[in-house]
Amino acid sequence: MAVEEKPEELVTPGEVLGRAAELRAGKGAYVAAHNGLVYASLTGRARTVPPSPDSPDQRPMVEVIGLKAHGAVPEPGSIVIARVTKVMARLASVDIMCVGPKSVREKFTGTIRQQDVRATEIDKVDMHSSFRPGDTVRALVLSLGDARAYYLSTAKNDLGVVSAESAAGATMIPISWTEMQCPLTGQIEQRKVAKIGS
Amino acid sequence: MEYVSPEGLRIDGRRPMEMRKLHAEMGVVAKADGSAVFVMGNTKVIAAVYGPREVQNRSQQMSDQALVRCEYSMANFSTGDRMRKGKGDRRSTEISLVVRQTMEACILTHLMPRSQIDIYVQVLQADGGTRCACINAATLALADAAIPMRDLVTSCSAGYLNSTPLLDLNYVEDSAGGPDVTVGILPKMDKVTLLQMDSKLPIDTFDNVMQLAIEGCKAVATYIREVLLENTKQLEYHRGV
Repeated sequence: MAVEEKPEELVTPGEVLGRAAELRAGKGAYVAAHNGLVYASLTGRARTVPPSPDSPDQRPMVEVIGLKAHGAVPEPGSIVIARVTKVMARLASVDIMCVGPKSVREKFTGTIRQQDVRATEIDKVDMHSSFRPGDTVRALVLSLGDARAYYLSTAKNDLGVVSAESAAGATMIPISWTEMQCPLTGQIEQRKVAKIGS
Repeated sequence: MEYVSPEGLRIDGRRPMEMRKLHAEMGVVAKADGSAVFVMGNTKVIAAVYGPREVQNRSQQMSDQALVRCEYSMANFSTGDRMRKGKGDRRSTEISLVVRQTMEACILTHLMPRSQIDIYVQVLQADGGTRCACINAATLALADAAIPMRDLVTSCSAGYLNSTPLLDLNYVEDSAGGPDVTVGILPKMDKVTLLQMDSKLPIDTFDNVMQLAIEGCKAVATYIREVLLENTKQLEYHRGV
C-alpha cells in the first residue's frame, strides 16, 4: 500500500491536525480531551512521523517543528561543561555553561559532592586538591538534584578539570591524573584531571 | 452628542460594524524571547515575553505547572496629556490581572513545571481598546516565543451608542459613558475566555453587542494567523530552508 506524501503544512496554534483515534500528539501538538481532536500548540511545520514497526501503538505521530529553539536544559545522563564557583569541605558549586555541544541560555547551578569526585577512595577526597574556583570542569549530570542545584559527577577518566589557571595566571598543562603544571613558573598544582581523547 | 450620524457614519468615518485598521509586527524586542507590536487604529501596544525561565521568587514556584506573570503599563506619552505614573494605579493593576488570567487559560502550563513566563505589555498610544490590543499583542508575543498554547486568544470590544451596536470603540466613543463590552475568545475552539462590561445593557441588546464583539475577535484571529504564517515563511527564507 503506497503511503501518499503530503507536503508539510504551516500551522498556527489551535489548528486541527487530526483525530486522536488516528494520530498521536508529539511535540508541538496536544489532544483536547472533550472532543478527541489533535490540535497544534506551536507555529511551524506539521510533520507526521510513521510508527516504529515494533511499538504497540501503531498510530503515526504528528509534531510541529517551530523555528525558535529553546535553550538547552541539563538532563540526567548528559555531559556538561561547568565553571567552578565555590569549593567547600564536602562539595563544590559550579555554574553549568554548556549541555553537550550547546551553550545554555540562562545559567544553571550544579553541585559536585565529595563522594562523586572520583570512583575510588571516595571518603578520602580533599575538595581543595580536586577543584579550585575558576576551573573549567567536564561533568556528568546524575540527577535533577534539589531545588537549588543539579547533582554532577566527575567519577570517570574523561571527567574532571579540563582547563585551569595557575596562581601566576597562565593556563596549566595536565601532567598526571591528579596534577597540573604552570608553564610560566613550573609550579605543580593538584586537581582531579580529565583525560580527554584516546 | 451624536456618535452615529443619520447616514450611518461614526465620528471617525467608520460604519457601525467596521473595525479599525489592524497592523502587527513580531520580533521587535531583540532581547526578549518573544515580542510583538499590535496596532488597532490609533491604539498601539508593545508586548514582550520572557520565558520559560527559572522562577525568581522560590516561594511562588509551582511543581506541576509554570507561573505566568503579567505587567501592564502605559507610557507617559501614550495619552493626550502626559501621564505621571503609568503603572501601579488601580486600572493598570486590574488590566494586568485580566491579561494574566486570559493568557494563563490558554498557555499549556503543565508542560513547563517549576518555570516562569513573564508577559510585559506597554501602551505606546492609547485611543480606546487598549485592553484588547494588549491581549492580541500578548498572543503574538507568546507565539513568537514558541510557548505552547491551546489556541490563539483574540480580543475586541463593542459598545452601544445612539441605539446602534458599534464595533471597536475608540477613546471618544468609550468616554461617552455608554456600555463597553470587551470579549476575549479562543477562535478555533469557539470558547469565550474574557467577558467584561462597563455600564448597563438590557439582556437582548447585550446578546447582539456580544455577538458583534465575537465577530470582531474572529476577524482579528484571521489577521493574526496571516501575520504568524508570513513571519514563519520569512524566518524559513532567512534560514535558507
